[in-house]
This record gives sequence, structure tokens and C-alpha cells, in this order.
Amino acid sequence: MDRDHAFAELIHEYIAECLPLAEGVTEALLEIERQWRDGHRDAGELGALKGRLHTLKGNSAMMGLRPMQAVAHALEDLCARLVADPVARSDEAAALLIEGGGLLSDLIRAARESDDGTAAEVYVARVRAAVDAHPASPEPALRLERRRTERRTPSDAGGTIRVDFRQLDTLLEIFGEAMIEQSGLPDVHRRLRAILGQCDELAEFDRVIGSVSATMKRLEGALMQTRLLPISTVFGRYARMVRDVARDQRKPVRMVTEGGDTLLDKTILDRLGEPLVHLLTNAVVHGLELEADRRRLGKLAEGTLTLRASTVADRAVVIVADDGRGLDTARIHTKALALGMDVRSDAADDLHQLIFVPGFSTADQVTELAGRGVGLDAAAAAIHALGGSIEVRSVAGEGTAFVLSLPLTLAIVRSLIVEVDNERFAVPLSHVAETSRVRTAAMHEVGGRGVLMWRGSAVSVADGGTLLGTTARPGPRDYCVVLFAGARQRGLLVDRLIGHQDVVVKGLDPALGRPHLVSGTTILGDGRVACILDAAGVVAREAA
Amino acid sequence: MTTARPGTFLLVDDSPLTHQMYRLVFSRGALGGSTLLHAMNGREGYGLLAAHPEITLVLLDLNMPEMNGLEFLERRAAEGLHPEVPVVLVTTESTPEDEERGRAAGATEYLRKPFVPADLERLVARLQRDRPAA
Repeated sequence: MDRDHAFAELIHEYIAECLPLAEGVTEALLEIERQWRDGHRDAGELGALKGRLHTLKGNSAMMGLRPMQAVAHALEDLCARLVADPVARSDEAAALLIEGGGLLSDLIRAARESDDGTAAEVYVARVRAAVDAHPASPEPALRLERRRTERRTPSDAGGTIRVDFRQLDTLLEIFGEAMIEQSGLPDVHRRLRAILGQCDELAEFDRVIGSVSATMKRLEGALMQTRLLPISTVFGRYARMVRDVARDQRKPVRMVTEGGDTLLDKTILDRLGEPLVHLLTNAVVHGLELEADRRRLGKLAEGTLTLRASTVADRAVVIVADDGRGLDTARIHTKALALGMDVRSDAADDLHQLIFVPGFSTADQVTELAGRGVGLDAAAAAIHALGGSIEVRSVAGEGTAFVLSLPLTLAIVRSLIVEVDNERFAVPLSHVAETSRVRTAAMHEVGGRGVLMWRGSAVSVADGGTLLGTTARPGPRDYCVVLFAGARQRGLLVDRLIGHQDVVVKGLDPALGRPHLVSGTTILGDGRVACILDAAGVVAREAA
Repeated sequence: MTTARPGTFLLVDDSPLTHQMYRLVFSRGALGGSTLLHAMNGREGYGLLAAHPEITLVLLDLNMPEMNGLEFLERRAAEGLHPEVPVVLVTTESTPEDEERGRAAGATEYLRKPFVPADLERLVARLQRDRPAA
């Protein structure tokens, strides 16, 4: 983007308006390709795309963004040609359209940076060649159409300002400091009361602490709102990627996305990309059967891949599901035994979770036969690092679903503060099922491991000190925190429960590397640094 | 050359970005201090034109939902609504035939995208000179 351009300051608005428009175009093009592949080679929505492309072209031109203008123009020409000329409606033409839609989205997404225009030029030249190869009667350049796209309401036209996301991060950091300082107030109150006894001034002080805390909560909510983006901003990218992988694999795939309006913190969306790409690619490559196999099995020749997002309480749930062959439970079992894993459950559901264990899916190509490719442990680690959890559900012959549960925001975590060997840890409350005083009667030892009877089932228990590295030898602990991730639980033995607190997440010092089972650090009200527990990681480790 | 003067401008376009651009142009330089009326489609724009006889100039997009630019012009001609107010059709591309259709329907002028603020200022100045009463 040329910073001296008359409208350069509107670049954020340009992206906000044009990116969804361009991604909508690509989605429509993918649908057209699908219909053509199914033999319905009519113009379909092609004509209706012209309006959107026209807006994209006009807006890009106004912003002085020539590459986008040129690509939108080329797409417009190509669409017009395909509307006019049924003979030209080939698979190659559809591929060229989709490639252009993708290029347009990529260019718009990166509109803040400068672009030398090469990619656009090359693309435009290819479109020219394709259009010239199929001469048809010229279309009038100006065409009036009613658009079928939903438009924003007039009130959206104003009231938006552009803010660098880093500024929002700074705001949040300052808010975090205020929160830490504020969380020290109750302690000051307690100490004053010990000296002064009960008095009116202290009662007033207590009231003020209460109202400051309520105001901070509201401020937090409002601050978080500014960081949220609909997940649809990344869904478009996946549709195109899935299509490319499916073409490579020669598998007809229909991708369904739902819940695009689910809001997530931008930081989470940014870091969710890689694991989702991994899961989707795996689903196409390993999950879905070949077309011929599907037909033989009496399934629809076209595989379905579903990407669904929704909000459940204070978590976002993202599901990546395929209707393919499902996991091969027997192979996973054999492999686990071969790797010397301590397999204590024959239940298919428990065995399936082993695919996330570090090393399991990378060791050899057996997992490929089992219905999944390599590197699932990396995807799981990335999800855990976000304070999320991942689970797999699979039915042989029917399909596989990965269920991701994610926090809506990364910045502040409601936590239970616990103490182990005089060190404090923050345990995200989203993963705490229950806390209890350890009664030796409820604890058992099974095969050298502690087991706690919890709500009628046996939950494996680990010593907090040895797990978190505060001691080499497990000591007697007074409390047990039952953690859960998905349908699985694990007990963590600790010395003390300090209380609930909203903690502000600080990143880990890169110099520390990534310590096991810790997702970040925080500063407590008394100024102490505490590690934030990777609760899903603790639960997942139980499988190892 | 006469300079443009602030006035009341009716902006009819379905793109929020375009409205932001107009906002920039009409808040600075010779046109700064103008009154702006925003409409997201022809139907809304037509309502605003009916309610505001003081409008200096209408900037009208061609492709819009609900009522497009040509339909806007045709209805205005049929109903004789403030025929003295000049209407500029804003287009990305147009052939001479298209322009003829627009003019026949009552468009005073064409403004082709991309334009820069100075283009719009010049156009406004010219139309204000042609119609000093505005």
C-alpha cells in the first residue's frame, strides 16, 4: 500500500469490507466447481458474482491497489466469458477462477504491505490467454444487477476507527497490571483490620474494594470485546486449502462450514490456523477413503468434511469431522504395545486418544493405516498451549471427529491458585471438575499408581510435586484437584488451595524453552510469579 | 478556476468504504464543513432526496441493492422530484452507450472510479458554478 495515497488511511476499512467479499466469491466459485464436476455445467451463480467483483475492482482502484484491481477485473472478464459461452466451462476454467479468488483474498489480506504485482500480472496474463482462446460475443462492460449478497446496514457506514492490534495488546497489558495491583487490596484490608479492628472507615474501604473489582470486571469484558473476530475470517482460507489437497488426492470432497459467526480472540485465531490446517489435511489424506472404495462401501462417492464452530459457556468448540473410514482401533492398540506403552484400557475411546501422545504418530507409517497421518502430537501441543483441549471420537467405517475446546480469550484466565512445595500454580478453572481434601480411605494404589474413587469411577492421581518438578519424591499432600479435559479426568495432589483469582497471562520467557505442563506465567497479587498449568496437557499425559 | 464550496451532499452507495472516502473528501480542504447525508441504497437515497430540498448535489452509485442508480433516476424523472438538484453517477467502468442511458434518465454528470479528492472538488466546483443558486 502506498502510504501517500489519498485514501491510505482507510486501508483497514478496505480490508474489512473487501476480504469477506473476496472470500465469499471464492466460496461461490468452489460451489460452482462442484456443480460442474457433478455434470451441471450451467452458469449458476457466475452471473451474480459480477456485482461483487465489480465492487472489489472499484474499491481496489479507489485505494490505488492495482494488483487487486487487475485480478478482480480479470475474474470479472472470465466470469462473463463463462456465462456467455457454455463450451468454455471446463474444469481448467473452474480451477483458474478459484485460483484467482484465492489470489485476490491473499492480496487483500496483505494489503497493508507493498506488493510488486508480479503474482497479479502472471495471473491476469493467464486469464487473458484463456479468454482469448474462447472468443465469444462481447459483453456490455456496464451491467446492472441486483446483488444477492447481504449488505451491512447503514449504521455500519460510520463509527469505526482503525486501531493497530498491538495497541490493544498494550491496553490489555496495562489493564493486567491494574488487575494485579487491585488483587493486592483485600490483603491490605485484612492486615489493616488486624491492626485497627472493625471500624466504619474499614467497612467503607471494603465497599470501595468491592466496587473497584466490579468495575474492573466490566472493563475486562469491554476490553475483550475489542479483540474478538468471527472465526469466518479464517474459514475461507481452509475451504480453498481443502479443495487443493482433495484435488491432489483425487478425492471428491465437499466441505461444510458452520458457525462462522463464532467470536474468538484474534490471538487465538492466529494460532489456531496451523493445527486446523493439519487436522483438515489429515482428514482428506488419511480419513477419507478413495472414491472407488466409498462406492464399494455404499457411501456417497463424495466425502464430507465438516468444520463447525460454536460457543459453549465460556469456551469455543471447534469440530473437524470427516465421514471417512474412522480410526483403526486394533492397529492403535498393537502399536501402543509395540512402543511399550502402558495400555490400561481396552475401550476404543481411550485407545483413540493415544494418537495425540508425543511420538505415537511420528514413529512410522502405521498410523497412516490406522487412519491418521503424522504429527498429531504437534497439533495437540499447539492446542494445549492455547489453554485448549483436543479429543478424538471415531466410529469405524463412519468417520472421525476432532473436538477442540478453546478459551474465548487468551489474556485472562479464571484460575484456582494452588500451592505445591511452597510454589504457587494457577490452574485454569475451565479444567477443574472438583477439589477435595484427600481422605486416605478414598485413595488406592493400583499397579504402582494412585487411584482415587471419584463419583463412582476410578481416576488416576498424580503427585503435583513430581509432575511439576518441585520435588523429586512425592510427599503426603492434603488436597486433590480433579482436572478434566473432554471426557477424561486426572487428579492432581497439592498441599494447599489458596483461592480463585483471575490471572493475567504473561508469555513464557523464550529463554526457558517450553517447560512441560506449563502454558504461561502470571503475577499474583502479592507480586509472586506463578506458573499457569497446562491442565489439558496434565490430563492427556495420563494416557502415556 | 472557481473553488468548490461546502454544501449539503447526498451520498448513495452500498459500500461502507466508499462512504468513508466521501467523509474524508468532504471534511477537508475546500469542501470541509459540508453536511453529508448517507444512504446505502437507492430507496434510502430517494427518501432522503425527498426530505431535503436543500441538497447541493447527489453522488449516486450504479449497482446497488433495493433500488439501483438507474432506477433512482427513472423514478425521480417520473415523479419530478427536485429536478434542479444535479446527480452525478459514480461508476467504475462505463461505455458511451451506458453514459447515454444514464444521461437520458437524468444524470447530470459522470464520475469515474478511481478518482482522487481533487477530481471530486473540481466536479463540485463546476456544478456549483453552473448552478449558482445551490
